[in-house]
Amino acid sequence: MMGGTVRSRRRKALLLLLAPISLILGLFFLIPLGIVVVYSFLEPGLYGGVEWTWYPYNYGRILGWPLNAYEEFDPIYLAIFLNSLKFALLTVLFSLLICYPAAFWVSRMSQRRKSFVMFLITLPFFASLLIRIYAWLLLLRPTGFINTVLETLGVISQPLDMIFSGFAVVLGMVYIFTPFMFLPIYANVEKLDYQLLRASRDLGASPLDTFLRVILPLTAPGIMAGSIIVFIPALGNFIVPSFLGGSKVQMTGNLIERAFLQSRDWPFGAALALLIMASVLLVLMLYIMRSAPAHERGAT
Amino acid sequence: MKGRRYSAARLWNALFNGYGFLFLVFLYLPLGLIVVYSFNANPINMAVWTGFTFDWYATIFVGAGTEGNFDSAFTESPERLYGVVKNSFLVALSAASIATVIGTATAIALSRFNFLGKRFYQALLLLPMLVPDIVLGIALLIFFVGAGIHLGLTTIIIGHVTFLSSYVFVIVSARLAGIDTTLEKASADLGAGPLTTFRRVTLPQIMPGVVGGFLLAFIISLDDVVITYFIAGVGSQTLPLFILAMMRRGLRPQITALAVLILLFSLIVASIGLFLRNRKP
Repeated sequence: MMGGTVRSRRRKALLLLLAPISLILGLFFLIPLGIVVVYSFLEPGLYGGVEWTWYPYNYGRILGWPLNAYEEFDPIYLAIFLNSLKFALLTVLFSLLICYPAAFWVSRMSQRRKSFVMFLITLPFFASLLIRIYAWLLLLRPTGFINTVLETLGVISQPLDMIFSGFAVVLGMVYIFTPFMFLPIYANVEKLDYQLLRASRDLGASPLDTFLRVILPLTAPGIMAGSIIVFIPALGNFIVPSFLGGSKVQMTGNLIERAFLQSRDWPFGAALALLIMASVLLVLMLYIMRSAPAHERGAT
Repeated sequence: MKGRRYSAARLWNALFNGYGFLFLVFLYLPLGLIVVYSFNANPINMAVWTGFTFDWYATIFVGAGTEGNFDSAFTESPERLYGVVKNSFLVALSAASIATVIGTATAIALSRFNFLGKRFYQALLLLPMLVPDIVLGIALLIFFVGAGIHLGLTTIIIGHVTFLSSYVFVIVSARLAGIDTTLEKASADLGAGPLTTFRRVTLPQIMPGVVGGFLLAFIISLDDVVITYFIAGVGSQTLPLFILAMMRRGLRPQITALAVLILLFSLIVASIGLFLRNRKP
């Protein structure tokens, strides 16, 4: 009798605790995402809005299918998507190269210095995204910091053309996502057992062998996790390319922004957004499938 | 042999320290540059130092003056800026408060109860952080417009709560995992109801996590550009959207000074938040 009331009270408490998040994520997250899927198959209306008819050509357009007699086959949207993919992967690669040694640097510190430096590395994440991009505009533009310094030193006579390029976009994204890459790698590197490295060396492995066959496999989970957390926001980014890429460098995010706020072709924008979403889910699924067996191995 | 190994270790140490220094320079040089530029009197090219001035800060608070200088075209009136800042704070305070309550409640449910569908919730809660901002932004735009909800501060707050709840959930969950449940069991055994146990035993222990989560959520909301960009509507500009519009018109010293003030504020609040989050239970 007593047990029953305690149990039902706990059930009520649980329902009460879960109700708000269920409402928020159901109504304002899952349903909107579902609507995006539906929209991507609807026909764009003449003056914005949608026609409720089955219309698979939003995806066709991404692949380059001509919409009407005036258009020709031109996979420009696909090319921009592949370009975004390239930028996102380059961002992952460079932030990995930058953060990996830095993680070792921090992991070798004394506890007090370690927490201070960790704090320094995490802090820029909370600086406004726009302001961090603004800083790079001031650094990279023709009359910016880098060019002015190089010209004063006499290294160059003409300002270097750095801004409004793929280089600037990737650099900007690397800068913004550095804390994302650093933290998972660091969490992994810190747990690294230095006894194993000594054992590897004592057994005659060269430093390169030790790195490739001991350190790298042991830190692989951190590398994977960091790469994914950087890849996801990089792929769909539109703020960085719109400022640092100018009109020369486009990413799918810019197309989505324009479809929604300028050309008002929402179904096409929805299809592009789902392309980004599908890529993200694919990467996540590969990650889960790859990391699950390792988990089980660790458990036995 | 021993000596060689020793000096090799010293060389490695020096290399790592040198690299680490460069890494911090990479992170902080751009931010430091803005601070220096904001005091540069040169109105045309911020990269060429012509003298120290507070003028750019003054234009934020009192406006551009009446000389009709070139910069007045790029300078926003203080009244407009105050309105925007007020909007931003209203959104960030509301969204962070609601998200803190929801995130904490969810963290308690998932850490102290066993139920069917627990793993579903765990996965669902990670999703808002994994879905690209732009996708969530356009999804909410379509939803609000379709449902006939007027775009404004309310829609921004709802949008922010959606992803901030997940952040608070993660931070508070970490805290809950770190505390000893013996005290809660003892409290229940001594006859305290669940609510009393929560208020008197659990909450005081997770409080730093809750406050830290609130502050970090507050800053993320205050700085959010992408999601706000899509669901702000016309009449309700927040500070990041205001900066975005200014940046599109051209880079002016006034933006730099404003950027420094925002930077200072974000970094101070985030420091307190990080400090509370990291404090050992």
